Amino acid sequence: MVNGNSSREQLLETVKSIEIQTIINIALIFLFAFILGRIITILFSKLSDKMNRSDRVKVKMIIPAVKFGIYIIAFYYVLGEMFKIFGPELFLLTGLLGAAIGFGIKDLFADIIGGVVITFEKPYQIGDKISIGSYYGEVIDIGLRATKLVTPDDDVVTAPNSLIFNETVASGNYGNSEMMVVIDLYIASESDVKTAMRILREAVVSSKYVYISSRSPVIMLHKALPFYTRIRAKAYANDLRDEFEFESDVHTKAWIELQKNGIRAPQLPILSIPPLDE
Amino acid sequence: MIGEMVGTYSSDSDKKGSDETLGLQDEIGEIQAAIADFEIGKKLNVAIITGPFGGKTTLINEIEKLNLNRVTKCTFSEIVRDKKEISFTEDTKRIVLLDNCHFLYIRKPGGFDIFYEFLNVISSQNRAFITTWNTHSWKYLNEAFEIWKYFPVQIYIPAFEKEELKFLVLKRYGKGEIKFKNGNESEEEPLIYVARYPLELAALGKKIDIPFLKINIPSLKKRLLNEKEEEVTAEHRVFEKIYLESKGNPGIALRIWELGLDYPHIELKNIGQFSYDIELEHEEAFVLSLILSYEILKKSEIAEMIGSKLRADEIVFQLLNRELIFETKENTFLIRPEALQSVIAYLEKIRMVW
Repeated sequence: MVNGNSSREQLLETVKSIEIQTIINIALIFLFAFILGRIITILFSKLSDKMNRSDRVKVKMIIPAVKFGIYIIAFYYVLGEMFKIFGPELFLLTGLLGAAIGFGIKDLFADIIGGVVITFEKPYQIGDKISIGSYYGEVIDIGLRATKLVTPDDDVVTAPNSLIFNETVASGNYGNSEMMVVIDLYIASESDVKTAMRILREAVVSSKYVYISSRSPVIMLHKALPFYTRIRAKAYANDLRDEFEFESDVHTKAWIELQKNGIRAPQLPILSIPPLDE
Repeated sequence: MIGEMVGTYSSDSDKKGSDETLGLQDEIGEIQAAIADFEIGKKLNVAIITGPFGGKTTLINEIEKLNLNRVTKCTFSEIVRDKKEISFTEDTKRIVLLDNCHFLYIRKPGGFDIFYEFLNVISSQNRAFITTWNTHSWKYLNEAFEIWKYFPVQIYIPAFEKEELKFLVLKRYGKGEIKFKNGNESEEEPLIYVARYPLELAALGKKIDIPFLKINIPSLKKRLLNEKEEEVTAEHRVFEKIYLESKGNPGIALRIWELGLDYPHIELKNIGQFSYDIELEHEEAFVLSLILSYEILKKSEIAEMIGSKLRADEIVFQLLNRELIFETKENTFLIRPEALQSVIAYLEKIRMVW
């Protein structure tokens, strides 16, 4: 008991002896690391916007790794400052820190570990369109603690990095600048499917948003359902950010041409079929 | 005269004949071989592919001249809308030359009917079709419709060599008619000079000039071997610069020449280094890619493809304002030859053309 009390008193004494200057130094190191991280993110993002489609993604891939490098160096210097103060008692402090992680900041710690995993395993990268948990959007930043997404409605979602341990992550493009978009059109069952397929294909290949190559082909599918026919085009948007514009462009142009050819949407009566349980 | 070394046009081009298709002899040979194969029963359609101002019409005209009695030639100068234009009667010869086949489709839903008909015609009739295509349209149609399957023989017109460009430019002038100036302050030609190599940075879609030191070989020869005849250093450097700027494209080379010529003088410093810092909205870039792919378009055709006359007016105005395109007397629009390399670099950067 005596030993325990004396250790505690010794630690308290040490804590009391910490100079304001040391605390300012530690705060400045964190601030500097944060500002440097932000500057690098902005610079690399601006640079990547000037690059061509494929190089843009490569540049953005570097950002999280550089930021983590900065944070690791910052932690190294902060630990150095702390060791100067506590010396051998640092181990005692580590014990306290362990207890704190166990009780209070374990989530924060899990997020940081998640950030490390995301940086090196790369389940997604900045610029990817991903689904994580119940969110879908473009990754705009991978931070130490959280990943920021912009949803199609322009909401910024901050998803904790630890989500990758519990949730499935789906990346729509996985590092590529092009992205597959599935475009469905529903037409009346009696429609001329061949003509409809041709029109949808032409709408896709003539879109200003399309990207076609041997590795990114246009695929056409047809499915006859009891009350209507679904025609589907799978094609790549040149820039994943134009995913919805691409779909909208194809829909608009295809429907104008479908109507010219007498092809119409499924009619209302099929929607008023009574539910099965009645 | 202080300051400017003057060279005179002592063309050695006379020795090479007056053939307009200088530099295309291999391609002509390949097409003639395809025609010969067709005559012995092999069905071969030929696609001649090159960029704007690349010389495809010159090549197909030469093929017509060489096979005058056996070919029917048809040149498309605007988007084809009537199937009759590609329906061939019994009077049509067995070898058909079709120039500017990139006018056979309209990039919009419902705009490919003529194109499908064309593919049907060239694959079903017992004729050989020798066709010319804009390279960007060709690549697009290749990816979208696998058009290469219909053309067993594909000929890509190569870039011209420096000497070929020189011949092309100077053939319309008499001997000694053009005076070349290198623009130096001293009367002596420098032995080493700074040349600038225009480098297209594909990743950034920009062009930069890399300065590098170059030994003036003609001047060196003149001094070492006392070759009095070799007073062509200014001429040499003018064509070197034209060649680097045009990347061997004959149309661009002629345009650069015209812009730099102050008849009968041409000075090295007036051979422009063209670089356009292009930054366009998505739809503006799309319209630019259409003009590049069709080579010449009317405003109504642009409006038809983007689906809005109002936007077409606005975008064409923007592109004219930025001096990327120009309008002809017939109210059609073309890419400015001097802007062509920058336009291609930009559109390739954003993958609007392949």
